Amino acid sequence: MGNGAPARHSGDRTLSRRPPARIACTLLATLLLVACSDRTSSPAAGVFTPGTPGVLTVVTSQIPTKGFWEGTPSHLTGGFEYELARNLAQRFGLGSVRVRIENFNRVVHGQLNGADIALDLITPTSERAQSLSFSVPYLTSPPTVLVRTGTAVPDLATARTLRWGAVRGTTFAGLIDQVIHPDANLRLFRATAGMLTALEERKIDAVLLDMPLAVVTATRSRGRLDAAGQLPSTETIAAALPKNSANQQAVNSAIRAFTADGTINDLLKMWVGSAAADAEKSIPLIQSTR
Amino acid sequence: MIDIHRLALPIADVTIKSPTGPAWEFFVLFLVVIIGPPLLEHARLPGIIGLLLGGYVIGPNGLNLIGAGNTTVPALGQVGLLYLMFVAGVELDLALLRVHRRAVLIFGVVTFAIPMLLGSTIGFSMSWGAPAALLLGALLASHTLLVYPTVRKAGLSTHAAVATAVGATVLTDTASLVVLAAVSGSQVVGGSAASIGIQIAFGLIVLVVFCLVILPQLVRLAFRHLGTDRIVRYLLAIASFLAAATLAGSLGIEGIVGAFFAGLGLNRLVPNEGPLMDRIDFFGSAVFVPIFLVSVGMLLQPSVMVQGETLKLAALFIAASVGGKTLAAIISKGALHLTSNEAALMLGLTVPQAAATLAATVIGFNIGLFDQSVVNAVLVLILVSIVTATLIVERVKVRVPVPRHESRGVGTRILVALEDPGQAPIGFALGARIAAPDSGVVRGLLACPPAETRLREPSLAELRKAGYAAGLDTDPALLVNSSLAEGLINVVAAQEPSLVMVGQRSITTAPAFGSAGEAVAAAIPSPVVIVIGEATRIGEVVLIQTEVARAEAQSDKAVDLAGELATRIGGKNVTARQITGSAFVNSLRPGQVCIAPGNSWQVFVASDPPPGAALMIVLDQSLPRIFAETR
Repeated sequence: MGNGAPARHSGDRTLSRRPPARIACTLLATLLLVACSDRTSSPAAGVFTPGTPGVLTVVTSQIPTKGFWEGTPSHLTGGFEYELARNLAQRFGLGSVRVRIENFNRVVHGQLNGADIALDLITPTSERAQSLSFSVPYLTSPPTVLVRTGTAVPDLATARTLRWGAVRGTTFAGLIDQVIHPDANLRLFRATAGMLTALEERKIDAVLLDMPLAVVTATRSRGRLDAAGQLPSTETIAAALPKNSANQQAVNSAIRAFTADGTINDLLKMWVGSAAADAEKSIPLIQSTR
Repeated sequence: MIDIHRLALPIADVTIKSPTGPAWEFFVLFLVVIIGPPLLEHARLPGIIGLLLGGYVIGPNGLNLIGAGNTTVPALGQVGLLYLMFVAGVELDLALLRVHRRAVLIFGVVTFAIPMLLGSTIGFSMSWGAPAALLLGALLASHTLLVYPTVRKAGLSTHAAVATAVGATVLTDTASLVVLAAVSGSQVVGGSAASIGIQIAFGLIVLVVFCLVILPQLVRLAFRHLGTDRIVRYLLAIASFLAAATLAGSLGIEGIVGAFFAGLGLNRLVPNEGPLMDRIDFFGSAVFVPIFLVSVGMLLQPSVMVQGETLKLAALFIAASVGGKTLAAIISKGALHLTSNEAALMLGLTVPQAAATLAATVIGFNIGLFDQSVVNAVLVLILVSIVTATLIVERVKVRVPVPRHESRGVGTRILVALEDPGQAPIGFALGARIAAPDSGVVRGLLACPPAETRLREPSLAELRKAGYAAGLDTDPALLVNSSLAEGLINVVAAQEPSLVMVGQRSITTAPAFGSAGEAVAAAIPSPVVIVIGEATRIGEVVLIQTEVARAEAQSDKAVDLAGELATRIGGKNVTARQITGSAFVNSLRPGQVCIAPGNSWQVFVASDPPPGAALMIVLDQSLPRIFAETR
């Protein structure tokens, strides 16, 4: 018994200390849970001020663009970049998204038609950065060769013999000249739709597209087109903003958040297809010395 | 005559491309790692600042030698971040938590809670969301022992105030990372608040069990069976934190939390003074961590840094962090009865914000909670905190008295000196058990006459294998000297071990007294244990108690040490035995280890233990005189 008393006393002391510790832990856990439910942007991640209060104005060059902008300009039904815009608006606490159409070549030269942001599969380049500010990338996009099914492009030597097409103003036009050096002259188009029609009508044999667009185009061509190979590259796709836009930090934070929480990947799977998410692993690499 | 114009023509056709590619990127990176730190250290600033500034210089906001679209440096930086947190966990001295439990708990709680509270309050007052505000609090509450080397050089590493600050780091870093795990998990995992809470709690539990229970067992097993190669041992350590980080990621928790916990889990398997820790430190300091710091420096943007908003943020962060840590030191001064200088020393040690702060900031940035202004404000805070800490420590380190006696455990640094490699398994097995509670290091030495250096090399490999089989991180060496005692005395003078174990095959051919062990014990301040026999396994420990030992006041040290060694080796499996004669050694069974304080005359005449058993005779520096009197 004599030995038991101090032990009991010690135990009582321990017990008497537990409630405050428990209360503190419970409070901390509750606070953390409150934090858990808060997923909107805060000033710590940058402040977004739209041109038109309550509205996120987005510019793009072509609607529909398979997988990225679905529906019509007056009745948008979805698409990766449209849904990305809607997610951005939601994060910034803006009630709606307004979409404007502008020529791609004008967009990449800084003509955003008064929009807050451009979402148009734009690859940041130093030349374009002279007239635009770019966000952090939301997609990595190795240039991908799209051909008619049955056309094999195992290497650069074969690629060189094909007739190539590209949209004017895109980075692909320069890339085809610098990396592939085609025997025939490169044919330039004003828009992607016209270029793809020319490919299907055998006026050209191959085009370069951003990987997600190449994959979704091939998937929806009912077997007529095929993503035959990718060029080694670390090219990315980012949102463009007016030069020196004060909104850049907020957009960057939002895209980092969407990448971290899986929003980007979910949107890619939903609108471009699961194949696009794994395309870098499944599409053959065409080796070049570039 | 050479026509210079004809030569010039072909040269004019030579084209030089601007450098690109991985070789160029790595060259630029390593140039910064080589030049940055010494330049800043020359100006009496920590090298870390040189790496951050170097990152800015070569990054997209500086000379743009490594562009914004570069993926190599950020990817390597991520690995560097994991490495940094793993090292932070593995090098923490957990023994201090046990020794200074109360002080560590008091100081750890206040030095975490006050800056956490102030930081979160600042965040909420600026209308930040709860996740951002809490993460800010957590990153301000952590600290890095950046100026600890300065304190150690001043001879203050065993000072209670220093030990408390170092021990508190375990608490602050763990608590900060738990908050980080919760906050980042809440942003990455979808669902309701309750489901997120359950997911994070479940993830943390699984992660803790994996890192602190399963991983150490797996690594210990792998060290024994695969770890005879130094490279494999290093890669096992790397694989461990990568596995923990991957598991954390799968559970919706930031990888750095896994890496830190993996470090804590392997803390005892990788002693701070061991060769594996050397390698981890070497590669970390040379490659991974600098690349992480350079990649953070690439986010540095002077135009953002000098903006009023950023400077305002930086001022608030500094006030919360340095002010909070100061308040914590003041409170602890009263609670722990410290002098002003001791409290200032603790403040100096806990003010620097570097590793954990940077890690939390980068994670906050990557998950979209913080923008570049916050990152740049934190970089200002890091700079200010490091400079402040350096000034404080430089000022007070001469005012705090250096502890007279180093109060380190007997297992901190053990030297096992053997003449016969056949005794390596028992020598290392005993050393491992004695070192374990102190997370100590065991070093092996194989005696070798000068003429036999080459002949002994294969035996050295045998020693290494035995060390690894005992689960030790050891890299044995040859002790080249014609006299084991003389050579050992020199090594002891250089390495200052906490315990010397001298192996002796037989007591009958050379009595314990009059042997190399006794000669060493007479000449060095460290306690010496003579190990006789070859046990293949350690079962029961028999602790010898004699009347002579009890009666001899001067021999208390040997008796106490024998008791402590028995507890460390046998745990609860210790039997104390009173003996009256020397025949006790013959009665030992295989697997039994007999520990006898060397002041009992019985051991003087003892015979060899039977095969499979071992005898440990504990000497200390007072013994030769005792025996001279006995004789």
